[in-house]
Amino acid sequence: MLETKKLTKNFKGVQAVSDLDLNVRAGEIVGIIGPNGAGKTTVFNLITGYLQPTKGEVIFNGKDITGQKPHIIAQYGVVRTFQLDRIFHNFSVIHNVVTASHLYARIGLWEAAFDTSGYRKKNRNTGEYAGNILKLIRLDDKKDEIARNLSHGHQKLLGIAIALAANPKVLLLDEPLGGMNPAEVDRTLEIIGEIRKQGTTILLVEHNMQAVMKICDRIVVLNFGIEISRGLPEEVQRDKEVIQAYLGTKKDYT
Amino acid sequence: MKLSKHWGYLFLFFLVFVIPVFIKSEYYLHILILSVINIILTSSVRAIAVTGQVSMGHAGFKCIGAYTSAIIAMKLGLSPYLSIFVGGLAALLVAGIIAYPITRVKTVYFSMLTMFFGIVVTLVTSEWRSLTGGTTGIINIPSFGTIKVFGMVIDFNSKLPNLYFALILMVIVLFFLYGLDRSYIGMTLKSISQDDSLAASIGINVARYKAIIFCIGCFIAGLAGSFYAHYWGILNPDSFSLFHSIYLLIYMIVGGTDRFVGAVIGAFILTLLPEVSRVFQEYQPLVFVAVLYLVVFLLPRGMVELPHQMKPLIRMFYQGRAEPHAGN
Amino acid sequence: METIWQGIFNGLVMGWIYVLVALGLTIVFSIMGIVQFAHGEIYMLGAYCTYWIAVVLGLNVFIALLLSALIMGFVGIILERLLFRRFRGQIEGSIIVAIGLILLLQTIAAIGFGTQDKWIPTTIAGALNIWNIKIPWERALSVITGIILVLALFLFIRKTKMGQAMVATSQDIEAATLQGIDVNRVSRVSMAIGCALAAIAGSLMGAVFGVQPVMGSYAMEKGIAVIILGGLGSIWGAVIGGLLLGLIDGLVPLGANTTVASIIGFSLIVLILIVKPQGFLGHE
Repeated sequence: MLETKKLTKNFKGVQAVSDLDLNVRAGEIVGIIGPNGAGKTTVFNLITGYLQPTKGEVIFNGKDITGQKPHIIAQYGVVRTFQLDRIFHNFSVIHNVVTASHLYARIGLWEAAFDTSGYRKKNRNTGEYAGNILKLIRLDDKKDEIARNLSHGHQKLLGIAIALAANPKVLLLDEPLGGMNPAEVDRTLEIIGEIRKQGTTILLVEHNMQAVMKICDRIVVLNFGIEISRGLPEEVQRDKEVIQAYLGTKKDYT
Repeated sequence: MKLSKHWGYLFLFFLVFVIPVFIKSEYYLHILILSVINIILTSSVRAIAVTGQVSMGHAGFKCIGAYTSAIIAMKLGLSPYLSIFVGGLAALLVAGIIAYPITRVKTVYFSMLTMFFGIVVTLVTSEWRSLTGGTTGIINIPSFGTIKVFGMVIDFNSKLPNLYFALILMVIVLFFLYGLDRSYIGMTLKSISQDDSLAASIGINVARYKAIIFCIGCFIAGLAGSFYAHYWGILNPDSFSLFHSIYLLIYMIVGGTDRFVGAVIGAFILTLLPEVSRVFQEYQPLVFVAVLYLVVFLLPRGMVELPHQMKPLIRMFYQGRAEPHAGN
Repeated sequence: METIWQGIFNGLVMGWIYVLVALGLTIVFSIMGIVQFAHGEIYMLGAYCTYWIAVVLGLNVFIALLLSALIMGFVGIILERLLFRRFRGQIEGSIIVAIGLILLLQTIAAIGFGTQDKWIPTTIAGALNIWNIKIPWERALSVITGIILVLALFLFIRKTKMGQAMVATSQDIEAATLQGIDVNRVSRVSMAIGCALAAIAGSLMGAVFGVQPVMGSYAMEKGIAVIILGGLGSIWGAVIGGLLLGLIDGLVPLGANTTVASIIGFSLIVLILIVKPQGFLGHE
């Protein structure tokens, strides 16, 4: 479904990502792991158009989406979350999701401007749709709270809800478990599982090894931008090169 | 609560539209007209600023509208009632041409870009003598004439009808902008202003929305400028200098950018202030500066904050008063 | 043929003044990170200061220049302490403060000195005659002063510890603090240098074109234009940008006039901002 071919990014002599070949099949959960600075978020930025690749291609459902603008890629159905909390701070939780739902609702500019009856109907549907997403993310009890007042863990979940509302076919989660305590981690993993059950393919980047092993169907390991291992979680865990790469950074060995 | 809110607005409406009749001083009518024009301009610059685009060249679009409307009315004989829209469209056209490239730049560069654009507009206006009369400008611009409405004769060569026209224009513009603000488009714009990367990640074409609101804001500026041309009858490039653009931003910031009504308040008070403090003669700018600094130090969110800040003070005052009577 | 050389020379004269303004501005902007729109007013006050010391007090004009630079440097430090530090990072507040300052200083100058042009006398009368071009000494002065100051600044930044500290702070304040640099002290020195440069530039301009309360705004427009051309934070960018703009302003009036020169100059800036906002040599 989502492929990258020889994806490469150079920053002034530093090779952030080199010749990455990814292949994510529909319905899978694929994880990208690697020590700090391995280039994981850069990969996301390259796939979703926030960075231009130096070389290589990104192909989604057979279509070449390499280097296109982020909002166009989102419209194709490839939606990402961000490592640093990105939410609409001044909006309420439900409003955050409703704003993101416009892709699903396909509300055109002119419809909105002239407040047509079609627009109003879509508005109502959007409200329902947003509510369902919040239920899935288990934030519906907080739906009227202002986003900036949420706890860190809830803000991260809201980030996922926002991305989900944009009706993705592939969801790219950038460190969704960052800064969460074990209870939050478990809850988020459950939610990710439910998202997959709904038919969304998931590609995620994470530091938390245990979690990644639990939830991913397949794993790709990066170090210094180069893939050093790939395969089933058990295989990767035992791979000598992976263990070596991580030996330097003990704290990732949670 | 809701009912009293509506009565409040009705009262305000009444105030705004009835009081002018009682103002006899030509001078104050003129100041009010200028402040209404500034309200329109400041609201439009705020609408653009919401998306993180702080335009330092807004007076340039006022200039384009004003000159276009005046020239079209004078050279083609078009009625001012129509030429003001042509003026607005001219501003819209220019904005449209530069919108795509300039809405893609970072906010700081956008400000500098619009600043220099505004300067270039002023310079070109002073240079293009054959069209614009250069630095001497244009005089004898046709006013809105005399019209008959419901049997009454309205003569736009006197100030009062112009004030009403300006007020009507202002109400229409404010209604439109306010409606836009609360609409789906306004919400998208606000989401862009909070986090444009996030907005892009969910499929919002940030550049397109920025360009659209930029064009709308500049159209309104052109319209306001055109009105000004036919009201005042005289135009020269000095009225559209960089300082005018910056003053609009000051009105916006001092009034308070967070709330829609901040632009209105800021423009109104700060347009009136220099005139009211004219008694100080050459020291007058110092009064202006004093007010600016008072606001920036005490009311960081702008003048809109004033009632909010006053609440605890008022409460204290009343509590102090009530104390002896408080039974407990 | 002579006129072209005259035009080039005039362009260089103005160009070096622009360079000095831009240098002061780029230091204040990039090191202190403040939106000092009132920098032009420092330039203007510097000119009035030199005028006052040289004409009213009657001291030697070069001493007046030096004193003016020192005084304005000091004024700059005070302004930074009292006003700008408080609004550091707050764009809206800094804009209001800066604009308020512009109004304040312009009004004070107008009240104190009146709005008529004042002239700063240069004791060196007469002119050079090189290749049939008449170069009045007072104009040659700006070129010479400009070159000396730029070299001095360059050496200062390259060779002294403070200079290096300034560069570090301009690139990353947090990193600089972590390296043990006293950022506040760097700010003070930078502000002082920036304002001193402005004062000198203003005085030079005042000798050539006269001193008026509004001369600051004109200088700011040119200064910002130069920074955009050459890139923020780059000394050589300021030099190249300033000279380029100066040459445009010197040569174009030969065929057209000064207004057209400004139009061309500023339109160029608009284009650069659209295409390569970092300027020719800027980083960031």
